[in-house]
Amino acid sequence: MRLDKIIRQLGKGSALAALVGASLMLAAPAAVAQDEPLDVVFAHHSSASNPFWQAVKKGFDDACQKLSAECQMLFTQNEGSIEQQVANIQAAMARGPDALIITIVDDQALDQIVADARAQGVIVIASNVDDTEGADGNERQAFIGQGFVAAGHALGKAMAERFPAEGPISAVVGVSAPGQNWSEQRAQGIMEYLEEYKAANPDREVSIERLDTGTEGAVVADRVGSYLNANPDTTVYFDTGLWHAYVARVLADRGVPPGKVLLGGFDIVAEVLQQMEAGYIQVQVDQQPYMQGFMPVMEAYLAKSFGLSPADINTGTGLVYPEDVEAIMPLATQGLR
Amino acid sequence: MKRLLKLYMARPELAGIVLLVVLLGVFQFRSDGVFLNQQNIRGVMGLLPEMGLVAIGVTLLMICGEFDLSVGSVFALMPMTLAVAMNAGLPFLPAMLLGFLVCAAIGFVNGYVTIQFNIPSFITTLGMLFMARSLTVVISGGFPPLLSSDIPADLFTTYVGPGELFRLSFFWFLGIAILASWLLARTNFGNWIKAVGGFQEAAAANGIPVRRVKMICFILCSMLAGFAGMIQVFRLGSPLPSLGEGLELQAVAAAVIGGTALTGGIGTILGGIVGALLIRVIDNGLVLSQVDANWFKFAVGFLTIFAVVVNAGLIAVAKKIKVGS
Repeated sequence: MRLDKIIRQLGKGSALAALVGASLMLAAPAAVAQDEPLDVVFAHHSSASNPFWQAVKKGFDDACQKLSAECQMLFTQNEGSIEQQVANIQAAMARGPDALIITIVDDQALDQIVADARAQGVIVIASNVDDTEGADGNERQAFIGQGFVAAGHALGKAMAERFPAEGPISAVVGVSAPGQNWSEQRAQGIMEYLEEYKAANPDREVSIERLDTGTEGAVVADRVGSYLNANPDTTVYFDTGLWHAYVARVLADRGVPPGKVLLGGFDIVAEVLQQMEAGYIQVQVDQQPYMQGFMPVMEAYLAKSFGLSPADINTGTGLVYPEDVEAIMPLATQGLR
Repeated sequence: MKRLLKLYMARPELAGIVLLVVLLGVFQFRSDGVFLNQQNIRGVMGLLPEMGLVAIGVTLLMICGEFDLSVGSVFALMPMTLAVAMNAGLPFLPAMLLGFLVCAAIGFVNGYVTIQFNIPSFITTLGMLFMARSLTVVISGGFPPLLSSDIPADLFTTYVGPGELFRLSFFWFLGIAILASWLLARTNFGNWIKAVGGFQEAAAANGIPVRRVKMICFILCSMLAGFAGMIQVFRLGSPLPSLGEGLELQAVAAAVIGGTALTGGIGTILGGIVGALLIRVIDNGLVLSQVDANWFKFAVGFLTIFAVVVNAGLIAVAKKIKVGS
């Protein structure tokens, strides 16, 4: 009798497990079924806690809503994890989507899976980050995003206009993700400009330091904060992402006045705009993430519906200054910039 | 019948297996039948060996009573060492051996520092996690080196068998899993591992060489992590410095879900593998079920906790079953 009770309990437990699992799955929003709606998967290398990608997701979701498409954006569990991105793509491919939007942060890791997708007739568009060899290095059909080297160069040049008129220049470039295309190319662009500046100003002492800074705000703040402690004469810090916003907080906490250490980086998020308003960040490069989420879906729709070839789109190397913040802030908080 | 039931319910991996079966059904339903299609099984099984090998190593070490949080970093360091060595002119075999030597050295350091200075392995290997990761970036020089074309990646990445369902890496993994299971279940050394993890003082009093057992387990754990990393790099074609980040927590979760006790002494290789498979299935199934991306981690964490709770419940129930003499 006791055994029967135990078996009943186990049976209840298993049923409970199934119920919990099923309810968890059912809690997820499901797409409205239509006659052959466009099925798009966006699989990138970033985690859901990165605010930049929420703007991309907004663009992606808005485009999908306008087209009544079935869409799914796949984040990684660890920031910058390419193997998780590849695993996500593999899983999504089993569903047979019409289009795959990806970021190519490494020149080799996604070659095979993209080739397999193309062989299955899937439309593949790269967004945000491209293979360094472009179409020659990967079978993706188009790239929608920013030219990183050019953007880095533009940032360096704009910041140089704010360098002190005299004295040595001590520049630090924080490489957020060593080895990843987007981070290395932005750093390359910045450093190329700084070398040009150095050559054009032989009478000034210009030092250029490269740091591995990370992609978590607290980590970047800690590392760069420590560097600035040890090197108080630092003139400018460039971040290859948006994490210098956290460095700005460290400077503010220490009572360092705005502009004492120039700060500049990439991407417009609310935290960056706040620090621009406060005067700590002088120049920022905007790559218009909303467009990077929106346009690939439109191109996938055109490709599927009318056989039009996806085309490259440069989402811009627009420079944003503190005087632009008032106009941009409302859009940034809505995830549109 | 009661005795059989008690024996089965006391097996630590049973809860993992039960949850695996339940989730297979749920995900198959939620994905409109895609989850168990050939392409998806191929994908899941293609990735399982990498996670599974790390889980085997971590399981062995946890049964022995210790932890290794540096497995994720070693996962990246070994193939990076291999790639850099080959780019420097070393042929594949010596480069691979060098990579394994680095893994063994890291395992040795982990074990030596833990045992010699009597500090928790959690702390030792946490420090090694950062050091090994940094070494990976340093030797790469910031950019992942190109993989030499002389690498016999086909020995691991080629799909074989009916329907080409499995990569060759799966069979490497199977072989090592069988070997590890045999080691744990059928050898004196395996008994020593369980004794050291279960009650270290009693094991030492009975003449078991505790230090040697632990040291070997640390080294095996590191080498298995390195081997797994090598397989992943051969599959991806690029030795990325960021590979394996967060893998240590997944490996510990896999071991625990499979019934390995955090306190040591209890666990099986099969359990570690079931745990690794469960984590892969959860990841894959959530993607196919189109769960909102922002809820992903919540779902993974919830299911992990649930598996451990069910496991503990089953063991408690098994203990209550009275079997007549």
